[in-house]
Amino acid sequence: MQVRRLPTGGRIDRSQSLAFRFNGKEYQGFSGDTLASALLANNVRLTARSFKYHRPRGIVGSGPEEPATLVELEGRRASANQAATTVRLEEGMAARSVNCWPSPGLDMGAVNQLFAGLIPAGFYYKTFKWPGWHLYEPAIRKAAGLAGAPVAPPLDGHFEAVHAHADVLIVGAGPAGLMAALVAGRTGCRVFLADERTEAGGSLLDRRLEIAGKPALEWVAESVAELKSMPNVTHLLQDASVWAYREHNLLMVNERSPANSNVLERNWRIRAGQVILATGAIERGLVFPDNDRPGVMLASAAQAYVNRFAVKPGERAVVFANNDSAYAVAADLHASGIDIAAIVDSRDAVPEDARDLAGEIPIKSGSVVIGIRGKRAVKGATVAERDGRGAEKVDCDLLLHSGGWNPTAHLFSQSRGSLRYDDTLATFVPDKAAQACVSVGGAVGEFSPASALRTGAEAAASATGSEMPDLPAVTEGHYSIAPLWRVDARGAKGKAFLDIQNDVTVDDVHLALREGYDNVEHVKRYTTGGMGFDQGKTGNINIIGTIALQKGVPIQDVGTTTFRPPYTPVSFGAIGGIREESVVLPYRHTPITRWNLDRGAFMYEAGARWRRPGYFPRDDETFQEAVNRECRAVREDVGVYDGSPLGKFELKGGDVGRFLDHIYTNLMSTLKPGQCRYGLMLTEDGLILDDGVAMRLGKHRWMVSTSTAHADTVHGHMEELLQTQFPEWNVYVTPVTSQWNNATVCGPKAREVMAALGSDIDLSHKGLPFMSFADGQVAGLPARVVRVSFTGELSFEINVAPRHMRDLWERTMEAGEPFGIEPVGSEASHVLRVEKGFLSLGHEVDGTVDAHDLGMSWIMSKKKRDFVGKRSVELRRRGNEIRRELVGLLPANPNEQIPEGAPLTPGGERRPTEGLVTACVWSVVLDRWVALALLENGKSRHGETVHVRLKNATIAADVMEPVFHDPDGLRMRS
Amino acid sequence: MSYDAAFARLPVNACFDLKGAESALVEWIGAEMLPGFPADANRCRKANGVSLDHVGPRHWLLQADIDREDELNGALRPHEAPAEVSIVRISDTMATFRITGTDAAHMLAIGCPLDLHEAAFPEDAVSFTEFFGQKALVRRCVGGFEVSVEQSFGDMTEDYLTRALR
Repeated sequence: MQVRRLPTGGRIDRSQSLAFRFNGKEYQGFSGDTLASALLANNVRLTARSFKYHRPRGIVGSGPEEPATLVELEGRRASANQAATTVRLEEGMAARSVNCWPSPGLDMGAVNQLFAGLIPAGFYYKTFKWPGWHLYEPAIRKAAGLAGAPVAPPLDGHFEAVHAHADVLIVGAGPAGLMAALVAGRTGCRVFLADERTEAGGSLLDRRLEIAGKPALEWVAESVAELKSMPNVTHLLQDASVWAYREHNLLMVNERSPANSNVLERNWRIRAGQVILATGAIERGLVFPDNDRPGVMLASAAQAYVNRFAVKPGERAVVFANNDSAYAVAADLHASGIDIAAIVDSRDAVPEDARDLAGEIPIKSGSVVIGIRGKRAVKGATVAERDGRGAEKVDCDLLLHSGGWNPTAHLFSQSRGSLRYDDTLATFVPDKAAQACVSVGGAVGEFSPASALRTGAEAAASATGSEMPDLPAVTEGHYSIAPLWRVDARGAKGKAFLDIQNDVTVDDVHLALREGYDNVEHVKRYTTGGMGFDQGKTGNINIIGTIALQKGVPIQDVGTTTFRPPYTPVSFGAIGGIREESVVLPYRHTPITRWNLDRGAFMYEAGARWRRPGYFPRDDETFQEAVNRECRAVREDVGVYDGSPLGKFELKGGDVGRFLDHIYTNLMSTLKPGQCRYGLMLTEDGLILDDGVAMRLGKHRWMVSTSTAHADTVHGHMEELLQTQFPEWNVYVTPVTSQWNNATVCGPKAREVMAALGSDIDLSHKGLPFMSFADGQVAGLPARVVRVSFTGELSFEINVAPRHMRDLWERTMEAGEPFGIEPVGSEASHVLRVEKGFLSLGHEVDGTVDAHDLGMSWIMSKKKRDFVGKRSVELRRRGNEIRRELVGLLPANPNEQIPEGAPLTPGGERRPTEGLVTACVWSVVLDRWVALALLENGKSRHGETVHVRLKNATIAADVMEPVFHDPDGLRMRS
Repeated sequence: MSYDAAFARLPVNACFDLKGAESALVEWIGAEMLPGFPADANRCRKANGVSLDHVGPRHWLLQADIDREDELNGALRPHEAPAEVSIVRISDTMATFRITGTDAAHMLAIGCPLDLHEAAFPEDAVSFTEFFGQKALVRRCVGGFEVSVEQSFGDMTEDYLTRALR
């Protein structure tokens, strides 16, 4: 039974009744309701508990400023951090209060109220220090937060994030925003309008005004119809909050009710030429004892409930104000049948305009509310003169208060625009813009509908270079205010809240100031006032005013804190959009990926987002058994791996030779066409950037290969050098990583497999020697065969275009079958390169070593005058400091594995490390564990025994050359 | 209700990466092989089934159906070209998707930050940008757009598009 629903009026659809549950109880509302208006219609007054003290709380606001009634939505739309005033009511909706257990009526956490005096602001900073913060942290973390995050993805639907562009982005569809959109739209420029309410009109929805001689909402409807008829007005979004203003006019919009019913929420990323902020203003509360009791409500909110939702928030109200706007509220409520017991105005003189609006309603000027009767619901108020004299009790079930209006400057502030204090309005207003944006209407302190229309039109005309239009006639309202930062009357007792959402009181701010936190930013952090998703919507200015009063300084000298995004809560899902599940991270496939998966390969990312096979387990094989089998195939017979992910770049131009000489440590320009050479690239600081192979394709054409993971880095490195240091050099770089896939056939029987595949290339030792390549046909496919080896065995890298890769692979497997060919994964490749002592970036190349440390002094050319990193290496080595050098390790117990990354310490004692183990694998050629390590002065310590220090053990290992197989490289050159 | 859009993965095109001065390229290739250089940046010109896309300073892509790859390769002679120009066959480097339907622009906007409104991205526009976080080449086609991503990201892009269409 909607006992508080007015029989007529409102913007609700009474033909569509909606059933919903709140805290487990069934209720009815109407289409067009918010959860808050529906609860009020059902006379649900106690809707929440407070964050810290667990005080009873009710509904305070009517929009995103709501600081008290935060709910957790359950079921299909499960989410947390929702203000009940912004939740559009839906059939079957279920919600529950936060900060209470088991219910707001019976909340076990209310025991905190007994100890309220012991838990002021910052108490836990001081209290939970002994024996250590971490003892208390879990319990505090559990108590914190405003609701639990959903534990499962939505049952149906998905989120979406989308980009958009506009010449003019207008934020807010109130009178200023609509007027701006009309003016901008009529010029033909692209207009994007986003408004946080479910329908256009802004504050006009909540009030009873006329524009152009007719009800204001008719003007709104006509304006919206005109905008919809303009194809250049690309978006008219309702229920869409602009929640972030980023650099270069990039703004974020959270659309909560997209037309596509499969989309739960949509996040727009809009890049706009000009932004018009028509975000309106937020009414702030007054600060008096027990100003948080259920039934204490912002005056403008009550006006919205009566006019927009046809709900009476109470039967008998006291209106407490320091400005004129509350008088229109009182008049509207009175007209709706609510008994207004009195208007309590802290000002001595009430303007005549305001008195006229009040009509017969008693006005108590120069008075304040010094107390509230009733804990779970307002039962009455105590009213007195400003100094506390003449206190009297007034019965009421609704206390409406208005402390004035604050421009909603959150987005303007996020854009890094500055604010200034306006004495007349007693608030901060936008001052200097930092980006192409302008605030209009209430957002700039122009609170009357007439000035909202005017400033909206002016901003749009200025942005589009068009003429000012004739404006519709509207009565100019009067607004005046005398700031009242807090009620400080004799007899005023009880907690007076500045920030209701974070339970911050006047006493908390005073305490912060006494303890030396006298900067407004420090007060914010000490008290948490204005934090969280409230972001100071209702309390910010009152905190600043309280600081100013207490310090005895002008309010402008206190300044404001920084408004931060999001302006209103946004689902993480909406930010992420469709990037979830299989696409939560990028991934890359080769044409063989499907083949690998079909054969049960264990796949994982192996650098630069490539998914590669780690190993190919068979039947009940263990990981180690599978890897051993693949390694043995390469060492004894033949294997094949997919080397497609290696980075590849074609370089062209007359200066490529000298460019390669500059970026590699060794000489490349001397290569003849058809030859290739292994090389190292260093960074400017002389550390190893990458290794790879350079091939000379022709007089001016080269190809370089890079490691998989560093392909993009090397590309950037080359382009940076060419564009900044050598712009006059004739070198063009073209990435061809995906133009060339390769199947690398490796092992003693590799040549037999190549013969079985068939090729017009002479693949003999003489015809295609080690470190050479040739173009031709392999298995009937156009191919380039390269004689390089990353396994230490005879290898033929068969490069083909990706369109041929699957064919090549299958033909290779078929041709290799008689020779026992095995597909080889990354794990086996790792073992094979460790056995050979080949370096691996991320293992031996750990960001500290240079080529000399790795025993590769031979690759540091002495003939070249300069190359990238040369000077740094030489300078570093002049210091004769101890270096960690690459060594091989044989664990004393051949069956004992050493964890990769394990430290080496002298004698295995608890002493500073002298190195670390970079890799440890089971060697199939030695039939034992072998390791590589970086060890201080390692090259001169071969034959020594060193110790790996583990948490509860040490492992002894003998130091040796970092090569365990075919040290002369005869096999790979065969 | 889902979107009115569909996508298809297209077969590879013949594609050659051309770099160098216009005059040097014309001198080497011959004007008759080229549809003419676009007058403006990030525009394409088409003639005789061949399109020439401006994608950067002194940088173009020459594209045609794959069955003309050998013909173009023979005419362009990448391996013999003078030092002043770079011609590289890159036909396989990109996976191309055609996205069509009344909601095609919205589909693009889910993955692409570029302004694709016809006022900013007309019929002959072509540009490298991002698509689902990866480098991509976008152009208009009849009824929608074509997006080319690095070939190894093809499966991922298909995955993304399938999700976006829901």
